[in-house]
Amino acid sequence: MRTLRIIGRHLLIILITALVGGLLGATLVRLAPGFGIQESDLNAQLSTEARRALHQDDAGERNVISYYGHYLGSLIHGDLGYSRSMERPVSELFRDRLPETVESVAIGVAGGWLLGLALAIPASWKRAPVYSAGATLISGVVLCIPSAVLALIFLVVGSPGKLAIALVVFPKVFRFSRNLLVKTYTMPHVLTARARGLSSARIFGWHVLPNIAAPMLALAGVTVSIAFAAAIPVEVVCDSPGLGQLAWKAALSRDVPLLVNLTLVIAIVTVAANSFSELLSPAATRDVI
Amino acid sequence: MKASGHRVIGSSGEVNVSRFPIVIVLVAVGLLCSCSKKTQPTSELHVTIKTDPKTLNPLMAEEDASDRIRYLTGGVLIRVNRKEQENQGELAESWNVDEGGRRITFNLRPGVKFSDGSDFSADDVVATVKAALDPSLHSPKGDPLRAGGKADVRALDRNSVVIKFEHPIAGIERLFDEIAISPAHMAGKADSSVVLGPFSVAEQRAGEYVLLKRNPYYWKKDSAGHQLPYLDAIRMYVLSNRDTELIRFRQGDIHLIDALPPDLYEQLHSEDPGAARDLGPSVESEQFWFNEVAKAPLPPYKKAWFRSRNFRRAISTAINRADLARVAFRGHATPSVGLVSPANKFWFDRNLKSIPYDTGAALDLLKQDGFTKTGATLKDRNGNPVTFSLITNAGNKPRERMGSLIQQDLQQIGITVNFVPLDFPSIAERIMKTYDYDACMLGLTNVDLDPNGQVNVWMSSADLHQWNPAQKTPETLWEEQIDKYLRAQASTLDRKQRKADFDKVQEIAADEDPMLYLVDKNALVAVSPKVKNADPVVLTPQTYWNAEYLSLEK
Repeated sequence: MRTLRIIGRHLLIILITALVGGLLGATLVRLAPGFGIQESDLNAQLSTEARRALHQDDAGERNVISYYGHYLGSLIHGDLGYSRSMERPVSELFRDRLPETVESVAIGVAGGWLLGLALAIPASWKRAPVYSAGATLISGVVLCIPSAVLALIFLVVGSPGKLAIALVVFPKVFRFSRNLLVKTYTMPHVLTARARGLSSARIFGWHVLPNIAAPMLALAGVTVSIAFAAAIPVEVVCDSPGLGQLAWKAALSRDVPLLVNLTLVIAIVTVAANSFSELLSPAATRDVI
Repeated sequence: MKASGHRVIGSSGEVNVSRFPIVIVLVAVGLLCSCSKKTQPTSELHVTIKTDPKTLNPLMAEEDASDRIRYLTGGVLIRVNRKEQENQGELAESWNVDEGGRRITFNLRPGVKFSDGSDFSADDVVATVKAALDPSLHSPKGDPLRAGGKADVRALDRNSVVIKFEHPIAGIERLFDEIAISPAHMAGKADSSVVLGPFSVAEQRAGEYVLLKRNPYYWKKDSAGHQLPYLDAIRMYVLSNRDTELIRFRQGDIHLIDALPPDLYEQLHSEDPGAARDLGPSVESEQFWFNEVAKAPLPPYKKAWFRSRNFRRAISTAINRADLARVAFRGHATPSVGLVSPANKFWFDRNLKSIPYDTGAALDLLKQDGFTKTGATLKDRNGNPVTFSLITNAGNKPRERMGSLIQQDLQQIGITVNFVPLDFPSIAERIMKTYDYDACMLGLTNVDLDPNGQVNVWMSSADLHQWNPAQKTPETLWEEQIDKYLRAQASTLDRKQRKADFDKVQEIAADEDPMLYLVDKNALVAVSPKVKNADPVVLTPQTYWNAEYLSLEK
């Protein structure tokens, strides 16, 4: 019962955050300079009447509150609206582009964790100062490079840009997990296990992993948010047809329906990922205790 | 203690922990390899479009991507030959314009079929032209035709069509270069899948590509009697990042690039001089104008400056256009002389003289209006220091470089320019809605070679008459004169007379300088050595205007 209440509370937080985020997104676009302007406005080939016709749909977006109310009403019926800048229903754009972003985020998260753990585990075991300093330096350097620049580097060397997301995620995983592992390996019960001559795999699986599971799960949620945020510049630089690129184009063209939906998606993913971590963390911790 | 413990475990062979990262790296490499590209058949040409097409309906094509697809797929009655810049018959074997430009009769090519094998007839032309003229469709392609008022479109027989307008339209033939004929039952709602052009749309993946496949029933043959087009397909990748486009060109994945930015052209030229081609001045120019709108929220003294012919001409004379071309465009631009580029072979006024760079002459002109240069500052007759902001769109490197150069040039005559790059919607709002700006620098593309394509800019009543739009009556004598000559050229079929009238427009514009034309950008393209029969031109689409004749080396 208590668990259900906690889940319900988290779902309510996700819902409220998404709704407020959507409204803020719509308001910001409405107030942004250049709202209601289209590139065709400067097309000398079009007559005044043709240009006016292209603006017929703008009127409904001028009053943000009324637009948002109407939008939520349509959303209940599964209608996400129509993108003016792309001339397509938003649901179609999402259907086409969501798989690309999911793949990018999945590769980014998986790659970041693989790389982060690959460097963190030996660093915590070996305690070799040169190795540790080298790994820290690499993660520090990568941490300092903006995700767009990382994407550009991958582009120049002809590798898939989505791997840049893995490099964005990696320093966070490395630093957090290395510190956690070092700390865990110095805990009394781990030292006792070592003294008893248990194999390192057994020590890791039975004594270290249960201790680090909870904070690592929390980090997992955060890395999904980080990867999702990094997908926007990476997709823009690499011309990947995902939601990140769509968000960039929507912002440049002040496309309210598209941006409101994207804000909702980003808010839901971010809050849900964090809530997921929070929900799982106490259970894991209890098991360890 | 722990380090030694680790070594013992490692050497005992229980678990070799040092191999664990290697396994992970191998997994990562596997992931990378899984993202490798698919191979394509060799007779598939690869080009790029900057955005997804907004529509595949050829009558609704308005932006560049849709229009390029329309060009490659649409069969038209008359084609404006992109090289010769003259009209040539396509689906119409011949045509005749009479009744003072109010009536045009087409004699259609017999035996032509659509890409699905169905027959083409006059009914398809009638239905398509009627759809283009339908006011409720708001077709950008039909828009110029609607200027002729009510139209009667009829098929005289299976192979001839007559269109009679209420009012004459000068140069009406060229407008049919934009009207792609669709099957009668699809007119107005066609999707370029059943076409009369060399290619039809076969597949579209949003954000990735549009695939055009060869039209097996295309009517055109080469001089040896071989069926055209030679290519099996054209894949148009959606790539907005110009660096990515060039990288993929170098990798051999893209075969042709239009309108290369000067920096990328230079990069490519240094690596592969044969692939990078500078075709000389294009029809795209860069210009800047002062805000002359009476209701603009500017101080009255600034409005007085901007409305002064001497002030505008002085600024024009103080700008070193040769430097703009040399520095901002790395030498791949030509100083402008007027509103029409020399690339527009027929309509360019060859009597116009280039604008000399002369700071002394600029100061003399300013003196006539009471400006004085005190020290390093120019002041007007009321002691106001001459300073203004110049806005442009952010992210356009040559334009940003031009802004800096103009700042330096005008500093020489004591004028301070605050150069402000903004994003495009912000600029458009300022120049079209709030009029809250001093001066603006942008580039306008004159894709329509005919003077009627300029009417929406140069008529004083036009919305795009940027320096002072939508005037109820012309506010100056010279604008009234321009209106008069523009109307005159539009009301006669005599091409020589039209040219004479439009020359007058060009001369008045050059004399009054409401729009300071800076440079005509050169057409810079990249052509892969694999592409045969490539003959790039300055008009769009520069590298594949003759797509039906292109082929790829195997």
